Amino acid sequence: MTKDKTPTERTAGALVRPFLSGPSDGAGGAGGARGSRGADDRADAPVPDGALRPFLLTAGRVAGQDSIAIETQVVTTDSGRTAVDQLGFERRDIVSLCGNPLSVAEIAAQLSLHLGVVRVLVGDLSADGHLSVYLPNADASTDVDTLLRVIRGLRAIG
Amino acid sequence: MVSAQSAEVGGPTRRRPPLPVKLVIAGGFGVGKTTTVGSISEISPLTTEADMTSAAAGIDDASKVPGKRTTTVAMDFGCITIDESLKLYLFGTPGQDRFGFMWDDLAIGAIGALVIVDSRRLDDCYPAVDYFERLGLPFVVAVNRFDGAVAHDLPSIRWALAVDDAVPLMTFDARDKLSVRDALLVVLDRALAKARAAQTER
Repeated sequence: MTKDKTPTERTAGALVRPFLSGPSDGAGGAGGARGSRGADDRADAPVPDGALRPFLLTAGRVAGQDSIAIETQVVTTDSGRTAVDQLGFERRDIVSLCGNPLSVAEIAAQLSLHLGVVRVLVGDLSADGHLSVYLPNADASTDVDTLLRVIRGLRAIG
Repeated sequence: MVSAQSAEVGGPTRRRPPLPVKLVIAGGFGVGKTTTVGSISEISPLTTEADMTSAAAGIDDASKVPGKRTTTVAMDFGCITIDESLKLYLFGTPGQDRFGFMWDDLAIGAIGALVIVDSRRLDDCYPAVDYFERLGLPFVVAVNRFDGAVAHDLPSIRWALAVDDAVPLMTFDARDKLSVRDALLVVLDRALAKARAAQTER
């Protein structure tokens, strides 16, 4: 996992929310209708050719996809809290949402955004100092002490 | 700012985020992955869309689409707070059984995987089993007891899946929190054994 994000030049891309003209599964998007449905429910939903590409939000950039894992924790910084009113649309939503730490996956689910889009936006906001991004410790999943803690935690569930 | 989890907090933030660890819940379409996540997660399972690279397999005839392509799929997940500084995420693999399972994004850095099997449709889990074997990720095969019934006995299922004897094979009930917990603990045992073995080698 690389830590460096490519600070790709930012072009003024059209800010169009993918779900506003998205596929037929509920026009409203913003209400989070998608969020409440199980993945299996939609298993056979076709991907329409005419669907607006979600990466319009990121001006077509997909960089940073590999560097930010889905479980990566994100927290808004003081700078982010100050700047929140100047940010547009999804960027503002993300900064508003992360007052308490959230994973990239949770951000995507709560804002009904494509995971890859959230990764790029989080990368941007982090480069601007509005978010702190805590890359997960790659060794945690093979660390004996961490695994023992998880085992104790699961056993405590009753 | 991007900081490693072990580093000091880079900016003035409200509180330090927990260390995230993740576990993959895999299996074919409709085997009970979302139910499993929902039984034990402290939040209702969330759904997000992501890209999956599919090496067009099965129905998506590879002869028509050479090479890989990307498909947008929906994915369910949940989480369990282990303690204030450790959080376990459970990620269910997408339900589309017509796609080859190639989701490195989910599996890399994961503790291990629970492969859920419907004993009436064993072949649905082949891609997941193949994938985790290749990746060397600790995994456990858990047969979901739909209505308490399992269509074949465990030795027959093991034979049909051709998994190594070292891979635990068990039955569980995806709707039962404690049953799911026990299944996850078996995955953790596997991961712990592997981590200990690696530690000894060092």
